[in-house]
Amino acid sequence: MLAPYLFGLAALVAAPALVTFGLAFTEYDLLRPPEFVGIENFRDLLHDDVFGIALKNSLVFALIAVPLRLGGALALALLLHRRFTGVGVHRSATALPTVIPDIAYGLVWLWLFNPLYGPINLLLRWQGDSPTTTAWGVQPPQWLTHPNDARAAIIIMSLFTIGEGFVILLVTRQGLPAELYDLAALEDATAWGLFRRITLPLMAPILLLLLARDTIFSLQWTFVPALVVTEGGPPLYSTTYVPLFVYRNAFEYLRYGYAASATLVMFLLTALIVWVQWLIVRRWRKGFAVG
Amino acid sequence: MARPVSRLALEGVRKRFGETTALDGVDLEARDGELLVVVGPSGCGKSTLLRCVAGLEAVDAGTIRIGERDVTAVRPAERNVSMVFQSYALFPHLTVRENIAFGLVVREEPKTVVRERVAEASKLVGVEELLERRPYELSGGERQRVALGRALVRRPDAFLLDEPLSNLDAGTRVQMRTELRRLHREIGSTMVHVTHDQVEALTLGDRIAVLDAGRVRQVGTPDEVYSEPADLFVARFLGTPAMNVLASEAARPFLEIPAGTLVGIRPEHVRLAGEGVPARVDLVEVAGSDAYVFLDSDLVARVASDARPSEGAEVRVAFDRKGLHLFHEASGRRVPGP
Repeated sequence: MLAPYLFGLAALVAAPALVTFGLAFTEYDLLRPPEFVGIENFRDLLHDDVFGIALKNSLVFALIAVPLRLGGALALALLLHRRFTGVGVHRSATALPTVIPDIAYGLVWLWLFNPLYGPINLLLRWQGDSPTTTAWGVQPPQWLTHPNDARAAIIIMSLFTIGEGFVILLVTRQGLPAELYDLAALEDATAWGLFRRITLPLMAPILLLLLARDTIFSLQWTFVPALVVTEGGPPLYSTTYVPLFVYRNAFEYLRYGYAASATLVMFLLTALIVWVQWLIVRRWRKGFAVG
Repeated sequence: MARPVSRLALEGVRKRFGETTALDGVDLEARDGELLVVVGPSGCGKSTLLRCVAGLEAVDAGTIRIGERDVTAVRPAERNVSMVFQSYALFPHLTVRENIAFGLVVREEPKTVVRERVAEASKLVGVEELLERRPYELSGGERQRVALGRALVRRPDAFLLDEPLSNLDAGTRVQMRTELRRLHREIGSTMVHVTHDQVEALTLGDRIAVLDAGRVRQVGTPDEVYSEPADLFVARFLGTPAMNVLASEAARPFLEIPAGTLVGIRPEHVRLAGEGVPARVDLVEVAGSDAYVFLDSDLVARVASDARPSEGAEVRVAFDRKGLHLFHEASGRRVPGP
């Protein structure tokens, strides 16, 4: 039963990972055989400004997007776990963007973010004093041309792909025993008290899992939007994230060894972040005691 | 522990869920300091009744009083009742101490008060040694004790117990039944205990209310409802095996009853004697000191196990006249006689 899975794991995950690990210590351009260079690639990475920018962009993206994505998924799950008219439509609307192919999703946002005819800026400019200002007299965000606005655009895009986390948290919330909430109602617990003392601690194991998963996901997810929507720009490398850096080095500059070393750095960094998260959350859970 | 004093009364309480009527004009009173057991089959509305008293369900009509207060429209937290749930409803992430303290902490009682009350309640229910454990480290009986401790700690006006013993194994259930009775005697508070288990109802309650399809069929002491059931439902529901009920035609070999009535007789009042109506033994079930004898005449007799006939034996059956009950065939209500 397990054999196909183990074969897939070995052939599609373990073997490429090992090859990547090996290539990270070589210079390889697909044309000549890989040449062992020791830690040369890592030393180069250390002095590579573009990699520094990509790494910083990736970490800032994860730092902002992960809490927003997780918080959004949790808030929507708590809002939509009860039955009311139309709840099915709301749940579907939250979950559906996740199933849209990444490229199609990117192209839709390319249109939405267009500074001139994109519906977002059309809406923002609605009732503005001039054709280029909003109703409150400022210029609307230049999503694809201003560095910070472009980074914000990628974060905004990521906030609509929280369907998986939402579904998991919805099911988790629905699975919490109703008696605990009945009991809390008899004890005069406030909505905040309920959330703090019951809902959050009981959902914490799943939230921790989603936190780790979403961190890993967020550090990789930027690839398609950065490639399709912003092409890594606007200058200078405002939305170049590590996945795009790896892609360009490997497939555009044919520097496979260098790309592999960047991948390895990203992998180690991701593992470190998840480990630190686990330490923090473990301490946080210990502090759940009443009082 | 100071004794909270309160009677609890429901007057004409109705509750519907869509097309289903859960409570159909319930009038019921738990007297001050009484342990009232509400018993009935699954789906009869007994848990809904308890939830309405607690304020977890709003009633459609009628009045609920706790003490002299009309609490019908009062929030659950302001009714000052405690509830114990069938599933215990312990917070899995909290220790026993924190579970018991929960209500006091939420109400922001001073820490010294919390400490004292938790110590007092945990001693009453015998969990002082378990205070630092978490629920998953406890047995079913211990969990139920913790749930009782949590209910006690706030000193409520009344306790509402929703099938608190149903999830326990048979041995622990009997033990907890005794402990619950002892606890009630010690604190003397008004308790409403809901169960589907007639043995639990008969052994635990000061009085019993039998509920069926959202209506109270009879309220009385365990003796009263068992010995003088108000109608056929109560007669059949209480007692194991259930009361034998015969129409006038089937009863004729034993006695004459008026047309349009049914006669009921409990298995312990069916005698397998040297004289009487002949019958054949279909099946014999041995239940410890007693044996249930199923006869081909659709009667069940309860006899001492060591005096039981063998299956297939020919016996003679007679009724103990003091154990006869007459019911009106159409309404099912008890009628005087025979």
